[in-house]
Amino acid sequence: MKKITLLAALLAVSASRADAAKLRVVATIPDLVDITQRVGGDLVSVDGLARGTEDIHQVVMKPSFVTKLNRADAVVYLGLSVEHAFLPGLLDVARNPAMKPDPDTFNCLGNGCIDCSVGVGVLEKPDTLSRAQGEIHPQGNPHYNTGANNGPLIARNIAAGLSRVDPAHAAEYQKNLKAYLAELEPKIAEWRKRAAPLKGVKAVSYHKDVPYLGAFTGIDFVDTIELKPGVAPTPTHLAELVKKMKEQGVTLIVREQQYDAKTPAWLAEQTGAKVAVIGTMANALPGTETFVKLSETNLANLLKAVEHKGS
Amino acid sequence: MRYFFLFALLPLALPARADEAAEARIKSLEDRLAKIENAPAKTSLSAFNPAMGAAIDFAYSHTNGASNFAFRAAELNIEAPIDPFLKGWIIMTGSQSGVAVEEATLQTTALPHNLTVTGGRLFASFGRLAHFHDHELPVIDRPRSLDTYIGGETQADGVEVSYLFPTPFYMTATGGAFNKLGATNARADNAVARPMDSFTYLGRLAAYTDVGDDHSVELGLSEAWTPRRYVMDTSVAGTDFNGDGTPDTPNTSAGIQTRKNTWRSLSGLDFTYRWQPTSGGARKGLIWSTEVMQNNERRFDAATNLPTDRVRSYAGFSYVQLKLGTKWRPGVMLDLTEDLDRARVVTRTYTAFLTYDLTEFQRLRLAFSRTTDNRPTGLGNNTVGLQWTGVLGHHVHGFRDR
Repeated sequence: MKKITLLAALLAVSASRADAAKLRVVATIPDLVDITQRVGGDLVSVDGLARGTEDIHQVVMKPSFVTKLNRADAVVYLGLSVEHAFLPGLLDVARNPAMKPDPDTFNCLGNGCIDCSVGVGVLEKPDTLSRAQGEIHPQGNPHYNTGANNGPLIARNIAAGLSRVDPAHAAEYQKNLKAYLAELEPKIAEWRKRAAPLKGVKAVSYHKDVPYLGAFTGIDFVDTIELKPGVAPTPTHLAELVKKMKEQGVTLIVREQQYDAKTPAWLAEQTGAKVAVIGTMANALPGTETFVKLSETNLANLLKAVEHKGS
Repeated sequence: MRYFFLFALLPLALPARADEAAEARIKSLEDRLAKIENAPAKTSLSAFNPAMGAAIDFAYSHTNGASNFAFRAAELNIEAPIDPFLKGWIIMTGSQSGVAVEEATLQTTALPHNLTVTGGRLFASFGRLAHFHDHELPVIDRPRSLDTYIGGETQADGVEVSYLFPTPFYMTATGGAFNKLGATNARADNAVARPMDSFTYLGRLAAYTDVGDDHSVELGLSEAWTPRRYVMDTSVAGTDFNGDGTPDTPNTSAGIQTRKNTWRSLSGLDFTYRWQPTSGGARKGLIWSTEVMQNNERRFDAATNLPTDRVRSYAGFSYVQLKLGTKWRPGVMLDLTEDLDRARVVTRTYTAFLTYDLTEFQRLRLAFSRTTDNRPTGLGNNTVGLQWTGVLGHHVHGFRDR
């Protein structure tokens, strides 16, 4: 019994030492946890913050997140202020000199900050900044992870960031990146082909978080169920939306998993459009733990709704 | 023949011209790019101005047949990094009682060993709800126990040092020294100097742990210790120096004003349980929070000026708030406050509240509260309140008021 206890203690110590040797990375959403694990391989240990089922704009700041960020060597985030509800507040109290909150962008300042939005072709940059337009993002629409074609860019940004934080292993990160892209890029090409029936399909979404999905699939998003970003639908808006959907021949309603199911169902009843449920973060739906699985599931759900409409 | 020869050469010349055109285009693009890359960043004189925001808090209340529109607060915040080592913020509040600086705080951002020093006028880290600004509270009116035992918010002029333990779970320790604790605490005056043993010294230990994916528990212990406090008794009528028939009071003549030594220890225990289900996203949830305080202090009878036998008293509150969807947050709160001076006098406040978040920046709250105490001719107040709060620009209290 003593030997077993000793062995267990030794194993625990050696495991923790092995873990300590790894680069400690915190990723804000499960998509980024997945891609960071792929690019970082055995050289990194990755902790996530959001679970994937939340509205990314309402992720609750838990003190346990502070501890993770305090001990981290790097933080990987989507950027474009999409994590405004939790990341700046957490960085503010995490006391980690490698990652400080940026008062101008709601992002992160420091060598440990890995911003995945660098180089993204940002859509829907606002012409004017006013809260009368709802909860808009000053830098443009930040939900670029819903566009599968942005996966390689995210992976490249993570590889560049890890190489900067841990230059001794830059070659290995680049090697892992190459392997991941070799897997991801053919899938993206395949998804593009599979998405052909979606091209030109008119749709509405619950929140304005799908322009990148629209750009990738060809779905024409004409309006949102929300009155404005972050503002719940009013009866007048819904009545106008029903009219607009009928006039424009909208056949698809995209409900992001975190939003209430009743209103899209009612809208479907009124217009005959079909509802497709998608995730805006990995892990939002069962079986979508990775970026690839999320992209595949979203595409399958959209195609299913469109096919049902056709049948 | 000559034209035939020219036509024959033309296909050879065209690609060369196309190459030249492409070269010229690339050169032009490179020049433009270089201009952009090498240009100084666009800026303005206001580039380093601090971020600003405001919260407007307004309420209607009806108590025992009398109503009032209450301009509770217009709270203006200004904040910015000061240099690589320090940041600062100012929170000014205008209300029915005037304009006041609620917070004017400097905080270090680059100290080693997980240390942070905060100084100036700040909301000290005692308990949980005690350092929430009024408009961030889960109810309209600050719990009576906090108003009575702390004196409103934990506003304090002084210095606080906090340490984040390098443990796998969240644990912080905070220590501070202040003139006094509590915005409306009349025991001390911020403008009057005092000996070191008359400062209020604060200690707090807080820990948090996740219990599975959906549950979490937070526990805090706070102690505000004022080793010595001097109570100046000026109630004894002074001498009629000017002969107008009325004594000159307060009389500072030797032998008339008396100084009594006392002390104060305010201890607090706070417990918060949160349920944030994975399946409900941010839509469902529950928070249960309880805070208990013990006041240990030599009190003096207002009539006789003699020390009373009332030294120790207790107060606290407990509330439960549900989150039902993105909009609705109903809840109930019970507050029990023992009188600081009169033993066995306890005030009970029962509150039911319903919060409706129209958007992230606008909120309505309806509350009903009944306040009673156990004296034969005691309180029996019924209050209905409707609160309307809006946030302008960048106005967040961050992790502290979570």
